[in-house]
Amino acid sequence: MFLTVLNSLNQGFFKALEIFALTLLGAIPLGFIIAFGSMSRYRVLRYPVKLVVWIVRGTPLMLQLLIIYYGPGLLLGNNWWGGGAAGRFTAASLAFIFNYACYFSEIFRGGIQGVPRGQREAGQVLGMTNSQIFFRVTLMQVIKRIVPPMGNEIITLVKDTSLVRVIAVYEIIWNGEKFIKSSGIIWPLFFTGLYYLAFSGLLTLLLGWIEKKLDYFKV
Amino acid sequence: MKKIFAMLLVAAMVFALCACGSQPAAPAANQAPAADSDLAYVQGNGKLVVGITDFAPMDYLDASGNWIGFDADMAKAFAESIGVEAEFVEINWDNKVLELNGKSIDCVWNGMTLTDAVQEAMSCPAPYCNNAQVVVVKAEVADQYQTVESLAELNFAVEAGSAGAEAAADAGLSCQEFDTQARALMEVQAGTSDACIIDLLMAGAMIGEGTSYPDLSYTVSLTSEEYGVGFRKGSDLVDAYTAFYKAAYEAGTVMEVATTYGVQESIIPA
Repeated sequence: MFLTVLNSLNQGFFKALEIFALTLLGAIPLGFIIAFGSMSRYRVLRYPVKLVVWIVRGTPLMLQLLIIYYGPGLLLGNNWWGGGAAGRFTAASLAFIFNYACYFSEIFRGGIQGVPRGQREAGQVLGMTNSQIFFRVTLMQVIKRIVPPMGNEIITLVKDTSLVRVIAVYEIIWNGEKFIKSSGIIWPLFFTGLYYLAFSGLLTLLLGWIEKKLDYFKV
Repeated sequence: MKKIFAMLLVAAMVFALCACGSQPAAPAANQAPAADSDLAYVQGNGKLVVGITDFAPMDYLDASGNWIGFDADMAKAFAESIGVEAEFVEINWDNKVLELNGKSIDCVWNGMTLTDAVQEAMSCPAPYCNNAQVVVVKAEVADQYQTVESLAELNFAVEAGSAGAEAAADAGLSCQEFDTQARALMEVQAGTSDACIIDLLMAGAMIGEGTSYPDLSYTVSLTSEEYGVGFRKGSDLVDAYTAFYKAAYEAGTVMEVATTYGVQESIIPA
């Protein structure tokens, strides 16, 4: 029995890890794009981007999952996700990427705007182009500044993956809880906590290590 | 550089909006015939997507990971009778109507109690199985709660929107709602609720020796009820199912499958 449970929890944990990894991979670049959009000096771009960020940050992720997965079938009469596991997983990943990109974008914006103007001016005096200033002067300082708040979001993301169960993506809590229904055994549900703890512990160490690596210059 | 970037972004957003707007138009034309005949839609897909939960003895996994159970086996036989394959999808039970209407599943076939709410939201053929809602309490106090009158003082846990919740409301019992029957049962075990109301078939499978609930037992039956299959509202799969069930009952296969899973006493004849 113990092995059956462990096997099932591992499967669920890998599903959660897949969503975690895909979300980071997709949301970090998208977050930068959104951050630039919300800092643009063109209003046609800035206002819609801010509106989208407001909507995404202002509604629960659980609701966004439901809307993204069931919306096409219910509102448009065409369920392009399909009923199988692959479609559910894709919908869940997209919802996560979009949601987290909006949160990341605000962290990135804070990081970029927090770099003193003098840094940029110094670059201009040295005759650097705008993109050279961004990639060689600003970006390094941004990365150093955003590591702690990003660490916060990343650890929240680990636990948020448990939300995908509302659209029946079988992540670790779903797999733990099913033993209550199928065989009346409670402990697997609480056992899932160890997986979350171990993984977020690992991430904390990793983030600490990154911070240390970035210690070679002062902001 | 910045200008070009901004224009690209605007273009991308406009494109995304257009994509969202135009998507429904094209498939709507394709699906026009499907809207008339759900049967044709399912046959066109080549598979009947059956929405289930892990719910022994109706739908559960065997040792090699295949869905079996009375409902699962009947669903497979029904799918075969209309010339398609059954595909089982384990759904979040709260969202069964969303799943059905959003076409991510084609039917709900999972020991579903035919409540008024269910029959309003789905098209359900005649029920196939009898069930009851029973009160579960800790075994050591079970003697005190053998009549409906004795239940008044208890705090109940029920599954939101379930037949148990309806039974509690009808009997005027004070209750707290949870997302699954299993959660309601856990409340009783943890002592956070005095009692819960769940399906008889489920109570039989989930409490007693070898489970996490060896100290629970069930006492009063509040209501009797019937299990049925749910199809999309107005679906012609209802007629196909009715014909299938009649034929399968007369051929003896229904009772044969029921005996395999120990539910033969509860089956309703066609």
